[in-house]
Amino acid sequence: MDITSATQEKGTVLSITGRVDTATAPALEQAINKEIDLGHRKILLNFSGVSYISSGGLRVLLATAKKLKNPADDRFGLASLSPEVHKILKLAGFTSIFSIYPSEGEALAGW
Amino acid sequence: MPAGNGQLISHEWQPVAEAAGATIYPLIRKIDTISSNSYIIETRDVILLIDPGGLADQAGHILQVISECRSDRDRPVFVFLTHAHIDHFVGAQDIPAFAYPESAVFSVQEAGADALEKGDGKMTQADLLGVSLVPMKAGFRLLTRQRAEFSGSPVSLSFANGAEVTVVQDQVETEPGAGLVRERISFGPASAIEVYHTPGHSPDSICIRIGGLLFIGDILFAANPGIAGLCGWSQEALVGSLAGIGSILSAGEIQTVCPGHGRVIPAGDAARVLAAVRNDALALADIAELNLERAKETAAYAEDSMDEVNEIFTIMAGRLYYVSYVMDELGEPEIAERMYSQFNGNAIDDLLEAFRDFADEHHRHEDVSIHLALKAGQVIAKLDRAFKKDELARLIDPTMVQRAGRLLSDYTTMLRGFCPPCDRARCDIIPLVSSLVTGLSVSACSDEDMMASADDDAVFLQALLARIGAPPLLAEIDLSLETGDRPVFAVVDCDHFSDLLTYILEELVGTGSGRIILAVSQEGENVIITVTGEAVQNAVAEKEKNRNFLKGLCVRAGGTLAYTKEVGLRRFVITAGRVPADTRTG
Repeated sequence: MDITSATQEKGTVLSITGRVDTATAPALEQAINKEIDLGHRKILLNFSGVSYISSGGLRVLLATAKKLKNPADDRFGLASLSPEVHKILKLAGFTSIFSIYPSEGEALAGW
Repeated sequence: MPAGNGQLISHEWQPVAEAAGATIYPLIRKIDTISSNSYIIETRDVILLIDPGGLADQAGHILQVISECRSDRDRPVFVFLTHAHIDHFVGAQDIPAFAYPESAVFSVQEAGADALEKGDGKMTQADLLGVSLVPMKAGFRLLTRQRAEFSGSPVSLSFANGAEVTVVQDQVETEPGAGLVRERISFGPASAIEVYHTPGHSPDSICIRIGGLLFIGDILFAANPGIAGLCGWSQEALVGSLAGIGSILSAGEIQTVCPGHGRVIPAGDAARVLAAVRNDALALADIAELNLERAKETAAYAEDSMDEVNEIFTIMAGRLYYVSYVMDELGEPEIAERMYSQFNGNAIDDLLEAFRDFADEHHRHEDVSIHLALKAGQVIAKLDRAFKKDELARLIDPTMVQRAGRLLSDYTTMLRGFCPPCDRARCDIIPLVSSLVTGLSVSACSDEDMMASADDDAVFLQALLARIGAPPLLAEIDLSLETGDRPVFAVVDCDHFSDLLTYILEELVGTGSGRIILAVSQEGENVIITVTGEAVQNAVAEKEKNRNFLKGLCVRAGGTLAYTKEVGLRRFVITAGRVPADTRTG
């Protein structure tokens, strides 16, 4: 799994490529925590390169949602999901916890 | 010295209990289908090797150990096969020292000796495991019909390795009217062993007793899914042999049982395991032969099913984590923590990933199908043990938990050599579909149930958890159910049919269809159920495995499935044979 980070005026975008599974989920969590520690509290995960997410990956998403839940200052969302990953999040009920956007641009436009 | 608790230490010489002067050097491996354990036994008169294994490295190490023994004092070498499956001997084929009878005499029950001499790829499982086999001669045929004519009388044999051996064949009664054929083989004044014919796993399977040790080959695994049904397997023979071995163990003279794979076992534990194997074997009447064709079919089914297993287990984990999250938000951290612990997510993820890695390697190396089928069986058995069905069904959608359970059990059934259970009956399709749609549209816990539970904290909590953990799939979906007024009957398996429709609806909803049309109609002799949803934006390649899985499930449900994709639409069409309203088919 590869993660690249880009912070801009409207928020920080972490672009992830590869599988988010037990082996790689801790690295994703670390990358997110690093941004939060730097004071970046508007985080968008661009999942266009993610074809698979395991329960370990779901735990990281929920842990992040817990950390970024202040509606005044925080934003947390996912963009550009593959149908496979969208299906997992939708059927698990996660789409009611954080926002899912069709694209990175559409997400940031609303932040 | 031998380890305590009836254990033997691998790769060390140690005395053989109840066999004065005999020592044993075991090579005990982790269980796999590639190679068996090996055991070298040294006495004053002879060196015995039981099962050289399936790996050249292993056979090479054995040769080195035997060479050291012979350099101390040269003695004849006999290689006994507990049975002639290639994982027990093929490693020796590339070692020249094992190829000459002057160096080592292969000793095999006569059915196995025939298979070796013919290079029989089916009986030795060489075909199934994709291994090339060179025909080889077994210089010492064990438990022959010819020696049965001299039952009870000693027969002297001379071998190319210089050994003079005395054999006495007789029959040991193990229960009234049944028994095992036995040969007592003496290599010298203090070097006698006993060999018992214990067919079932294979026609040539034997057990070998040396002092307080009993070498039993693969009979412990003979009723396992993916093992039972191998070419030469016989349920009737297996059940009889298991009873016979049980009788040998109950005599109390055996201390340790040495299997063909995995660690050695104290005799008392082995007796209990063998009794359980016998019970399993008794349930295996009429299973299909596990041949190359069935291994391929099972491996394909394994891959299709494992994709679905992966998805449904991840969704169930997600549901539970979601419940935990909501409870945490509601200020109930203890309940949230308890929810988290209900799903052993890391262990389950590890199992699923282990299968994926195995499958990737399997395809990279174009490995034989049986390995993939067995790996899936192993993973599914572990998942089944880690999967707390009853607890989960109280917290998340119980129908999803049941579907996951059926996925696991259907695969195990198939690997065992049975068709997955199929309970087809004449069924009115419209109420079945309507009831499914209603069940997927409303919460499992109604508003009335919630209000009725408000006076009791525990009942209210359970209702709340069930409501959070089982959000109705179709709640936010614009679904049109189009059925005619007249009943439409077909012969289907209702559980599999409902599972199929649920999987299709989940696929459409999960990938973004907000509007779905579900239509039931009649066309000629067929009932047609069509599920149409919007196509996915930015769709990646269609999941071929998912389609294959759904098609297989539809066949088990009693129909056929077609999938089409048009501009802006995805359509699943289920076709089942229509039956008149007034006939009954069981």
